[in-house]
Amino acid sequence: MSSWKNSLLPGDWLTLLAGGVLVAWLFATLWHAGPAGKVRIRAGDAVFAIHSLDQERVIEVPGPLGVSRIVIHDHRVRFAASPCRNQYCVHQGWLARAGQVAVCLPNRVSIELSGEKGYDSLNY
Amino acid sequence: MPRRVMASLVSGLRWLFHWHLAGLLLFALAGCGRAPLHQSQAYVFGTLVDVSIYGEPEHRARALENRILQEFQRLHDSLHAWKAGSELDRVNTAFAAGKSVDLSPELAAILTDATALSERSGGLFNPAIGHLIALWGFQRDEFVPVRPDPAMVQRWVSANPRMADIVITGRRAFSRNPAVRIDLGGYAKGYALDRAAHMLRREKVHGALINIGGNIIAVGRHGDRSWRVGIQHPRRPGPLATLELPDGWAIGTSGDYQRFFELDGQRYCHLIDPRSGRPATGVQAVTVLIPPGPQAGTLSDVASKPPFIAGVAGWRAAAAAMGVRHAMLVDAAGRIHLTPALRPLLHFVSQDVQLEE
Repeated sequence: MSSWKNSLLPGDWLTLLAGGVLVAWLFATLWHAGPAGKVRIRAGDAVFAIHSLDQERVIEVPGPLGVSRIVIHDHRVRFAASPCRNQYCVHQGWLARAGQVAVCLPNRVSIELSGEKGYDSLNY
Repeated sequence: MPRRVMASLVSGLRWLFHWHLAGLLLFALAGCGRAPLHQSQAYVFGTLVDVSIYGEPEHRARALENRILQEFQRLHDSLHAWKAGSELDRVNTAFAAGKSVDLSPELAAILTDATALSERSGGLFNPAIGHLIALWGFQRDEFVPVRPDPAMVQRWVSANPRMADIVITGRRAFSRNPAVRIDLGGYAKGYALDRAAHMLRREKVHGALINIGGNIIAVGRHGDRSWRVGIQHPRRPGPLATLELPDGWAIGTSGDYQRFFELDGQRYCHLIDPRSGRPATGVQAVTVLIPPGPQAGTLSDVASKPPFIAGVAGWRAAAAAMGVRHAMLVDAAGRIHLTPALRPLLHFVSQDVQLEE
C-alpha cells in the first residue's frame, strides 16, 4: 500500500511549504485595505484628485468661493487655507487615520483618507 | 537520479499549481463580495449628501442616485426657510401679514405632522421660531458671529410663536400669531430620507445607505452584512463609536460642533431653546437611533432636538416623550450618557470614554 505521502520527496515538501507561505503572504498583504495611504479630494460632486500620502505636496482645489489649499506633509493631510468665512475645515487640523474626513461646505471641497475604517458612513 | 529529480519537480509544480489555483479562487470570491458598491456625493440642503448603493448594476445605481438627488433638490427649493421664492417663504410672508395662503398637499401634510411632533415634545421642537433663528444669524449659508439685542430676543420669546397657531383648512392656511415664522431645519432632511428610502424600496433595491448632513437611513443590507455607521466624536476628527444600522433603521445627531460660532470664548450653537430664545448649552451632542417605520428618517432628525435642548437633567424624559428608546448624550464635559437599550449596540472606538449611568 503506497500512500501518496511516500511518493513525495523533500523537494516536494519544500515547494508545498513555499506555495503555502506565498498564499498566506498574499492574503496578509492584499486582503485588508490597510492604513490610510491615500487621500481622496472631491470638488463639488466629482473626485478632483487622489494622492498618496507618501509625498510632500500642496494641492490647490477650486470651488465656488475660490481656491482651497490642501497640504500633504509627513503622511498626513489638512486644509491649510480656505476662502470660506468660518474656517471649520482649517480648524479640523491634520488627518492621518483611515476614514477621517474634513469638509468645507461653503467651498464644496472635501478630503477623505482611504482605507478600512470599520463603517460605511458617518453620522454627525 | 535525474529521473527522480524530474519526478520530484513535476510533482512539486503540480502542487504549486493546485495551491495557487485555490488561492486565486479565494481571491476571486473576495472580489465578488466587494465590487458592487456605488458611492456618490453632492451638496444639497446646504450640506453634504452621501448616497451608497450596493448590489445594483452601475447604470441602475447611477440612475437611482440621480433620482434621489433630484428629489432632494426639489425639497430643498420648496422648503428653504430664507430663500425668497420658496413655497415656505411665501407661506411665512403670508403668516407675518396675517393673511391666508394656498398650500401644496405635501406642505400641508408636513406642517400638520411637524405640529403633532412639536406638541409631543412639549414645544422643545418648535419649527415656528424662525425669527429667533434668524436673529442669531443662523438663517444664512455663511453665518457671522452676532450678539443679538436681548430686548429683541425677549420680544420673540414673549410673542410665543407655536406650530399650533397655524390653522390649516383644506388647501388654505393662516396663522393666528403673526410671530410664527417656519424653519424646517430640524425636519426637512429627515423627511427627505424617508422619501428616498420609500423610493428605493419601491424599486426593490437590495441595499442603500443615505446620509444627508449626518442623518442616515439604511435600506436593505451591504451584501451579506448590515450597514455600519460611525458616530462623529463631538470634539475630535473621527468616530466616537460605531454600530450596525439594520434594514429600515435611521440615526440622527444634534451637535454643537457643526453650525456654531464663538464670541469671547463662548460657543453659540444653532439649536435655539424656544423657552429662553438663546442657543442651548450644556450639551455637546445627542444621538438618536430610530427603528424601522414610515417616519424613521423624520424622527431621526426631529427627535434629537428635544433631548439636546432639555439638557443633562431632562434629556431622558424628553427622549421618552418622543418615543425614543435608543439615545446617547455627550455632556459639556465630554461624559457619555446612554439609554439602557442603546448601550449594547455601540462599539466605542474612541479611547478614554467616560460613561455616566
